[in-house]
Amino acid sequence: MRPVPAMLCAALVALAGTAHAACGDALGAGTLVAASPRFDVAFRPDPAPIAVSKHFALDVVVCAKSGAAATGLGVDAHMPAHRHGMNYRPSVAARGGDRYRVEGLLLHMPGAWEFRFDVRTAQGSERVSLGVEIP
Amino acid sequence: MRRAALLLAASLAAGAAIAQPIAFDAAERARILSHGPWPMAWSPDPSNRVSGRPAAVALGERLFFDTRLSGNGLVSCAGCHRPKQHWSDGHARAIGHAEADRNTPTIANLRHSRWFGWDGAADNLWAQSLRPLLDPREMSFSIAALARLVRSEPAFDCRYRAAFGRSVPADDEQVALDAAKALAAFQETIVTGRTSFDDFRDALARGDATAMARYPAAAQRGLKLFVGRAQCSVCHGGPLFTNGEFAEIGVGHFVRPGVVDPGRHDGIRKLKASPYNLLGRWNDDRSRGTATGTRHVAAEHRNFGEFKVPGLRNVAETAPYMHDGSVATLREAVRHYSELDPDRVHSDGGTLLKPLKLADAEIDDLVAFLRTLTEPPAPFARRELTEPRCD
Repeated sequence: MRPVPAMLCAALVALAGTAHAACGDALGAGTLVAASPRFDVAFRPDPAPIAVSKHFALDVVVCAKSGAAATGLGVDAHMPAHRHGMNYRPSVAARGGDRYRVEGLLLHMPGAWEFRFDVRTAQGSERVSLGVEIP
Repeated sequence: MRRAALLLAASLAAGAAIAQPIAFDAAERARILSHGPWPMAWSPDPSNRVSGRPAAVALGERLFFDTRLSGNGLVSCAGCHRPKQHWSDGHARAIGHAEADRNTPTIANLRHSRWFGWDGAADNLWAQSLRPLLDPREMSFSIAALARLVRSEPAFDCRYRAAFGRSVPADDEQVALDAAKALAAFQETIVTGRTSFDDFRDALARGDATAMARYPAAAQRGLKLFVGRAQCSVCHGGPLFTNGEFAEIGVGHFVRPGVVDPGRHDGIRKLKASPYNLLGRWNDDRSRGTATGTRHVAAEHRNFGEFKVPGLRNVAETAPYMHDGSVATLREAVRHYSELDPDRVHSDGGTLLKPLKLADAEIDDLVAFLRTLTEPPAPFARRELTEPRCD
């Protein structure tokens, strides 16, 4: 997937809002949406935009398109070109319903990163990813 | 960018100092601007209740230069962190009571650090200040001896009361941690000055071609490499020229035959085990908002052999280089990246580090750029602070 420039989050809100109007609208400006056949995962950095080598959190909404709803969430981020991830293991707290708060992320290099959301269901786990470009 | 290039060309036509304008594309320009502004905004450390307090700075400065803070009475913090050597010591490896395993890093610009020490075993400056005091090979002091000294020396006792607003307590550990916080308060005041790079960076930001043209052409070419093809700024990013994290760059792992320095991997273990980390009771920030990194950092196999990415301000003045001081000159340090053997880089498949295969002239240019990160000579002088009346 082609990385999304993080600085273009505001523009992406409009695009995401068009394509995924039902998922993540409540998160507000700066929301990004990762999509898979069964799930949309909307997420908004806090603070936004993401700054290189600064800690941030994510507010996340997981939206099931069909079938079983999510029962849990795992979150990580990787640099595919460098084949490494973060130096930190984020914690995920369920906030009720389809909402989650992810703490402790830090992207320590500029460049192309990929957010990976592992959506757990009663039947297993499904990965939903989105690339972002950190300037 | 185009406007800046045109302005630069106009300046050159008017007879400015450099022969050829160096063109920076939009990405390079953005990367250059991200290395400033300098100095950075300063704010007190929430984990240290006396951070920024003049009386604490005064106490910390006295402690820093006092050789009585060592087992043999001969070693002070300033013995390795020498003001006239940009707070380093010029040795490959630190020498206190004995030779240590690692190079003495400068202590300038530490207020904005997330991790301290080559392995990041401390997440705050006061805990890091205590570590060499207690290391048998460095200062070989003790918590009890430090507390005793602070209580018994009137100059310390008086300044302690002024800094902390109370008499020196009976609890030795409390006194030692407070002394460490005063040491941290002093070190936080050590900030490097502006450099010719900063002048160039600010001129670029405002499109001032005349001011940009004062920056040497070789340094501009080196800067272009630094933020571009050589990708130095990927790790040496931001105003401090470090991302504050850790990297494995193919420097040898052996401290001596048969003994390996595990670097960050062991640093994370020590951090988690330390009673003085930001998750512990000595953190004055009750919200623990400063402890996010400590709470979430996790040792991975790839951390083995990683060491902290050092900041590069004043780098030309702090030789030798690398965590073990094994590289004598700045030129050799640049050449290391030019010729490094990827097979020596211990990683889990990362592909960032590749030999740059720089021409000699390119190495010269990178060195020329790095030298412009040096502040003009301004010898440190013990200051007369707004000290409490103790003498």
